[in-house]
Amino acid sequence: MKSLGELKALREVVVAGIGITRWGVYPEQEWYDLGSEAVLLALKDAGMEFRDIQAAFCGSCYQGVGSGHQALAEIGKTGIPIVNVENACSSGSSAFRLAYQQIATELYDIVLAVGFEKQQHKGFIPSTAFRPWERLLGYNVQPANYAKGVVRYMEDYGATIEDFSLVTVKNRRNATMNPNARFQQEVTLEEVMSSRMIAKPLRLLHCCPLADGAAAAILCSRDKLKNKDRAVTVAASVLASGVYGEHETAGGSIKFPPAVGMVELSVRQAWELSGYGHEDMDVIQVYDAMSPGELWDIEKLGFCRPGQAPRLLREGVFDIGSRLPVNTDGGLMGRGHPMGATALAQIIEVVTQLRGEAGPRQVAGARVGLAHSMGAGPNSVVTILKR
Amino acid sequence: MVTAEKKQFPVLPGAWTTPSAPGEKPHLIGSRCPACGEVFFPRKPKGRCTHCQHDGLEEIKLSRQGKIFTFTVVTQPPGGGYYHGPVPYAFGLVRLPEGVYVESPLVADDLDALKVGMDVELVIGKVWGDSEGNELIGFKFRTVQSARKKEAAGEIAR
Repeated sequence: MKSLGELKALREVVVAGIGITRWGVYPEQEWYDLGSEAVLLALKDAGMEFRDIQAAFCGSCYQGVGSGHQALAEIGKTGIPIVNVENACSSGSSAFRLAYQQIATELYDIVLAVGFEKQQHKGFIPSTAFRPWERLLGYNVQPANYAKGVVRYMEDYGATIEDFSLVTVKNRRNATMNPNARFQQEVTLEEVMSSRMIAKPLRLLHCCPLADGAAAAILCSRDKLKNKDRAVTVAASVLASGVYGEHETAGGSIKFPPAVGMVELSVRQAWELSGYGHEDMDVIQVYDAMSPGELWDIEKLGFCRPGQAPRLLREGVFDIGSRLPVNTDGGLMGRGHPMGATALAQIIEVVTQLRGEAGPRQVAGARVGLAHSMGAGPNSVVTILKR
Repeated sequence: MVTAEKKQFPVLPGAWTTPSAPGEKPHLIGSRCPACGEVFFPRKPKGRCTHCQHDGLEEIKLSRQGKIFTFTVVTQPPGGGYYHGPVPYAFGLVRLPEGVYVESPLVADDLDALKVGMDVELVIGKVWGDSEGNELIGFKFRTVQSARKKEAAGEIAR
């Protein structure tokens, strides 16, 4: 295993091109239609041809065998290594990390990461991230598993349902400035608080909407860039899985709670690798599959102490134009959640912000940003990007 | 009551004891690590402690009573067609005196009255039946209040 010093000395990797489809519900489109569309957009953005791509990593969750091969076959078949990556809702960022590693270690110079998902749009996702007996008991409901955490968070910190509802209000407002988001309309606090109950105390508008969509990024070494002005450097890409005893969906260890949780573990490594700290972040994208998740995530990443995020949210600290803009593109809540693509869209939003191309939702002068995805497993991926 | 066509199947084979004498009550079976003392439910069939990696966990009978640590009431059917029980339904984490959480279905006269910290006790029985007459037998925890009421009602009927 390489030392921290050796890891820091690896070759610089830059994001040369990004592409994202307009997320929504597309009954007439398959995952390969969406995935190939995002790849073509990323190639155009990078000023590259498909034949330039030397390897590809394709993130998805429920798309079946060889789904990435089928998406890329819509564009070309060049014999390059293609690997399909399933890492739950962190599939896209995991694919991005693999692409990053190939270039950093100088195996390849230009690598594609793509993520896509075509959803079923029939009620809850029939999540297979649960054991067969757990599914028989009806545990395979993701909002329900968040709800169990919500109940504890409310007990422990005195947070209210209104706190979580305000996350939805903020992210839906941000989504109105993102033409690729599924939802383009704002919602009021009252609308969130009176939406249909899903898993007590979480209501429909505390849960992110499903969406069909795809996102792609082309990474390369600096010498391969066609357009050097818009390049964004990968300052860190870290993946961690669960640590023993941490409270996950099924409860943690009472006797042996971990000193450092999974998210903390991943973000610490990202700070060490990048040399940055919390105070350096101009914009962050965190994991808001359920609106309370955004607040926990901000806390677990260490941007504030446990229990403080609801107050900071109310003070407007996480708004665009304030100290720490969070989920500037609407997050999962406004953008929608095609599982394989989501985590890559978070990275793409940071790239867009650092390029200064985010239009009405632009964070002025953004130079450094962070994207954090989570996924069943559990998984935690932290990506830090810099201009 | 049980017809020839009707099939009963346990949600997790070997997860609880079956009473062999009258007056005996079922217990959930957990695993305990003799090296570090960690307790697990469900039991670990491989016998490995996932905390300290010790090889050779012991099986233990877990307490029948605990407290609700957290819970939710699900008001929309789960996806995938695995669950055939009533909606709404409740499940959550029950903290047992052995120092372990058990994730379990929760039963109460009034699901809306469930609260963190409530005393609950183990019930082994039907969780749900499907349209073909199959019955899922599993563990669940019932609020002690509801359980006492049932017992009282039973005594009156007798």
